[in-house]
Amino acid sequence: MIWLAARNLFQGRTRWVVSVGGVTLALMLILSLDAIFVGMESQLTAYIDSTGADVFVAQSGVRNMHMAVSSIPGSVEGRVKAVDGVDVATPIRYVANYITLDGQEFIAYVIGVPVDGALGRPLTVADGTRELRPGEAIVDGVAARAAATVGATMRVLGRDYRIAGASTGLSSIFSSIAIVPFDEFPSYVAADTMAYVLVRAAPGTSASDLTARIEAAVPGVAATTRREFGRQEIKVISDMATEIVAIMNVIGLVIGLAVMALTVYTATVARRAEYGILKALGARTWTLCRSVVAQAVITVAIALALGAVFTLLVAFAAPRLGVALALALSATSLAKAGGVALVIAVLAAVLPIAQIARIDPAIVFRRRIA
Amino acid sequence: MTRYEGAAPPQTPAPTLEVNHVTKRYGEGPTEVVAVRDVSLEVAPGEVILIMGPSGSGKTTLLLMLGALLRPSAGEIRLDGQVLTALSEGRLPDVRLRRFGFVFQDFNLLSALSALENVAIVAQLAGVPNGAARKKAAAILTDLGLGERLHFLPEKLSGGEKQRVAIARALVNDPTFILADEPTANLDSKIGHEIMRLLRRVAKEQGRSIVIVSHDQRIKDIADRVLWLEDGRFAHETGMAVDPVCGMQVERERAVDGTWDGESFVFCSRGCRDEFLRAPWRFLPEGGAHRAALREAVREEARA
Repeated sequence: MIWLAARNLFQGRTRWVVSVGGVTLALMLILSLDAIFVGMESQLTAYIDSTGADVFVAQSGVRNMHMAVSSIPGSVEGRVKAVDGVDVATPIRYVANYITLDGQEFIAYVIGVPVDGALGRPLTVADGTRELRPGEAIVDGVAARAAATVGATMRVLGRDYRIAGASTGLSSIFSSIAIVPFDEFPSYVAADTMAYVLVRAAPGTSASDLTARIEAAVPGVAATTRREFGRQEIKVISDMATEIVAIMNVIGLVIGLAVMALTVYTATVARRAEYGILKALGARTWTLCRSVVAQAVITVAIALALGAVFTLLVAFAAPRLGVALALALSATSLAKAGGVALVIAVLAAVLPIAQIARIDPAIVFRRRIA
Repeated sequence: MTRYEGAAPPQTPAPTLEVNHVTKRYGEGPTEVVAVRDVSLEVAPGEVILIMGPSGSGKTTLLLMLGALLRPSAGEIRLDGQVLTALSEGRLPDVRLRRFGFVFQDFNLLSALSALENVAIVAQLAGVPNGAARKKAAAILTDLGLGERLHFLPEKLSGGEKQRVAIARALVNDPTFILADEPTANLDSKIGHEIMRLLRRVAKEQGRSIVIVSHDQRIKDIADRVLWLEDGRFAHETGMAVDPVCGMQVERERAVDGTWDGESFVFCSRGCRDEFLRAPWRFLPEGGAHRAALREAVREEARA
């Protein structure tokens, strides 16, 4: 009966193309959104991963950077350094604000790193140097692309900096990153305070052991392994995005369902007489229902494949078009979209199945009955 | 015409369809309509029965009940002794699929499928694998003269070709009975007659029983019996017989009778009767029941 389903589908080509197109767009909405968030997750922790730190020390209760405010006294740096198993400790300052480049404003994480600090700067840069000197900055993301060349001037919180280096891959969809000298950090941050202390563990010391030792030795701080710090960073964004993703998924589901249901229903109604003929000839209702479900499943399967291909194309094209989006299509996203597609197929087939079940095979003779 | 691969061998006793005092009512109370009243009928193997009657006489309702598509309000229908009307709804599709073939007025082919697929799908519904179903469908269609049209969609076929495809579809599961609803209504008279001769050939060569419902007076000559249905009852029955001279099917009631060697014969006209009586040996088989009389008649002719 699969071939009957396929023949019925492809005979009404225009209707089928509209249906596949509609469902493809709906599934693409779901896949793209997922791909954006999966891509974003890797972007979110890119700076954290590139600092070279094994442990992040913050104000007690703070275990991430995004939308967090951490302020710890300058004395914490020395006390952390004194903890057994700490190889290097580098303080950083941090605030989210606008930076100005070429007359354009960009939201950025502005991070203050000591010019001689071992940690906190990108491990590599695409252009210029990763060394920081007074009056110079390293920039990443959209801001870096706008700056075009090393040597350009960037205004950060009311002060001009010369761009010494431009890195890639550290910023996210939410913000660029600008790294400036620790001591030149905007004046409204108290002179003897910092946001975090980045810690590199001595060889042979595990990061998790070190966090316990730091928290035991330094009161009022939270020490978090880099891995956990990154996980918390993602969780904050995910929690913020969960409802948006859920709403978009529902919208995708509803659009896909509406398009599919309408198509399968009209296709079934159009062939009502033919289903009646098959019933009169001896086809069981269940056999005909399978054919309708097969039509819906074939359509959504093709739509899912097309949706995945188009999402991959968008993922390929977006960075090349200067969009600060890293789309990553994951197996989980595909499985989720597949599940949604299956739900669409099954729900879209419900009304047509009810229609078929109600068809009286005598309909074939009905016009002249008695 | 050949019996196709997988055809069931003749059964013993021969399959029969019996209608016993069947009544069908629609609605109830003041709106009740009795479409068929206390009708009885027996269909013998290889018999072609034509049911005629005015519109609204109950022909189609009777056909629907014969084909297990409608349950009678009273009475019973027996298929090979089994009471069809007692079967559950769930078993009826299988009976329709394997025991009955249907031929419709509007051909009722599936528009998305080719001629071959229209036939093969019915075999597949009966559980025949795709390849075997297509092979069997191709054989039947070729036998019916559609070997060159196997892959044509219905829209590319003429009315006569469509009805042949419908007949092939009716034959594909080797049914015992073929039920035809106005099979010539959408065909011109020549093609209509061709189709009816084809159905008669199917009945006589393959031993299938055929019940045809029709308004078409021109097809009476292919039937073994013509039943006239009026107000839901059989008003009268016309026996049909073959004129041994011209081969025409003629109604027994209106035919010209002739007797020879103690047997009655029916003729379409006096001319045929006279021709027969002058030289019966020309129209009767040599080895038949009249062997001795034929030899005597031939000798007399020679002496004269």
